[in-house]
Amino acid sequence: MTTPQRAPAAPAPATVAMLLADARLPGGGHAHSAGLEPALLGGLPAAQVPAWMVGRATTVSLVEAGTAVVAARLLGAPAGPPPGAVDAVVRAWSARTPSGALRDAARLLGRGYLRVARTLWPHHPAVAALSGAGGRGVRDAPPRAVVLGAVAAATGLPPADVVRLTVYDDAQTAASALLKLEPSDPLTAARWVLDACAAAEPHVDRVAACRTPEDVPASGAPQTEGWAEAHALENEKRLFRA
Amino acid sequence: MPETQTPATTRPLRLGVAGPVGVGKSSLIATVCRALADELEIGVITNDIYTDEDARFLRSAGVLDPERIRAVETGACPHTAIRDDVTANLLAAEDLAADFAPLDLVVIESGGDNLTATFSPALVDAQIFVLDVAGGGDVARKGGPGIGRADLLVVNKTDLAPHVGVDVERMVADASTARDGRAVVALSRTDPASVAALRGWLLGVLAEYRAGTHVAHDPGPMAPHFHADEDGGILHSHADGDTAHEHHGQHAHDEQHEPARAPGRG
Ligand SMILES: Nc1nc2c(ncn2[C@@H]2O[C@H](COP(=O)(O)OP(=O)(O)OP(=O)(O)O)[C@@H](O)[C@H]2O)c(=O)[nH]1
Ligand SMILES: [Mg+2]
Repeated sequence: MTTPQRAPAAPAPATVAMLLADARLPGGGHAHSAGLEPALLGGLPAAQVPAWMVGRATTVSLVEAGTAVVAARLLGAPAGPPPGAVDAVVRAWSARTPSGALRDAARLLGRGYLRVARTLWPHHPAVAALSGAGGRGVRDAPPRAVVLGAVAAATGLPPADVVRLTVYDDAQTAASALLKLEPSDPLTAARWVLDACAAAEPHVDRVAACRTPEDVPASGAPQTEGWAEAHALENEKRLFRA
Repeated sequence: MPETQTPATTRPLRLGVAGPVGVGKSSLIATVCRALADELEIGVITNDIYTDEDARFLRSAGVLDPERIRAVETGACPHTAIRDDVTANLLAAEDLAADFAPLDLVVIESGGDNLTATFSPALVDAQIFVLDVAGGGDVARKGGPGIGRADLLVVNKTDLAPHVGVDVERMVADASTARDGRAVVALSRTDPASVAALRGWLLGVLAEYRAGTHVAHDPGPMAPHFHADEDGGILHSHADGDTAHEHHGQHAHDEQHEPARAPGRG
């Protein structure tokens, strides 16, 4: 569906997904905790982290995933993205992400991702279409989900994989931050990542089918937003950006 | 190579300051700001482990508009932030350059980590590695990528030398040997001549950078180390494409040496 003609030497979309999911890819993600540090500072007991991860996988992660899926469809349109398409997706995402702190963090991640995208797929129109959509000030940059959509369009990453990648990345980011914040057996955290991804599985088809900005799920997690706001004001004990 | 927003010679020089905990990196940056305040427009980025301790120290030093001092989070991996994934620092440097254009210099302080942490040339154009006399006179001989190959090695707090029984001249000589003659400055913030030497070095690098003749070097992630074998062994580093030499006595590096730990994610 979003499979453009790829140059003969292009890697398989699954390989691109692995690259993007790999924490070793230098995109700035290592300074983020996917909301875990805010949650723990806000009083979430460590024992509830697996339930909290499932909660994210079935709410905020799906907002991000739907945003990326729609961005990929619009940016990958054969006739090029319709005018204003990027702005419309960003608006839909913003409306579903009430915390300014979280929006700032997502835009910062978007800038990091954009560096990756511009370096690896500099000539693809979907990536080029993001120029002017930010890259300068934190507030103007496209959020990471939109940049991921551009990469998906540039590499032929199927929508269902975009959803799974988004959910996985969020869960794995939290799991790896957990090892810094509440040290425990890393394999326990790996189990929780799989459980969170499994919990999102029933939603994958629905989110992968999103076509317009209005389709992006509006499943929020208000306490997460509150924790993120409090964390952004915290200067003493912060290891992670958000 | 990551793109930059402006051509290499018009964007500010990015200078890294690395070195073990407490050697005086923040104080050195404050000294630089003080010494060059009249000539250069400066911005500073700090990479604390617990965020903004260094940034607050520098702001309270009153040597720079507090807005020009920014802290980035490192996810508890300060060496990753200056080496394996420099994104957060690059973005902060771009923002500083945009917010206070035209800047001449952005100084980036690494989170005090271990002896092996050095900056990637993807982040900085030049870097200073800082040691202090209180760490002992023989640290300079121990080598490591920063000590051996940073653009400048600073032996700091020389005013303390008499109290800790260190012969500064000897320490500087050892360092110069370990560095094949690369620049070394013995510094104390209370010794104006040493501050002038630091200032002169920095202005020299800046002039070269602006002229397009400065080349960013990677000190490399690992200390050079000695391979003993029947032919007498070779001294080599793993940086600078020096990986193609023959290893006569085949061995795994990690097992037989105790080199400075390669910075990984952690
Ligand atoms: N005597 C003396 N003390 C110094 C000098 N420079 C720094 N110090 C002191 O050394 C201590 C550490 O200085 P900082 O500048 O905070 O060191 P740092 O390397 O930035 O420390 P971290 O960021 O925590 O790794 C402070 O107590 C400084 O006052 C110096 O030239 N002489
Ligand atoms: Mg410091």
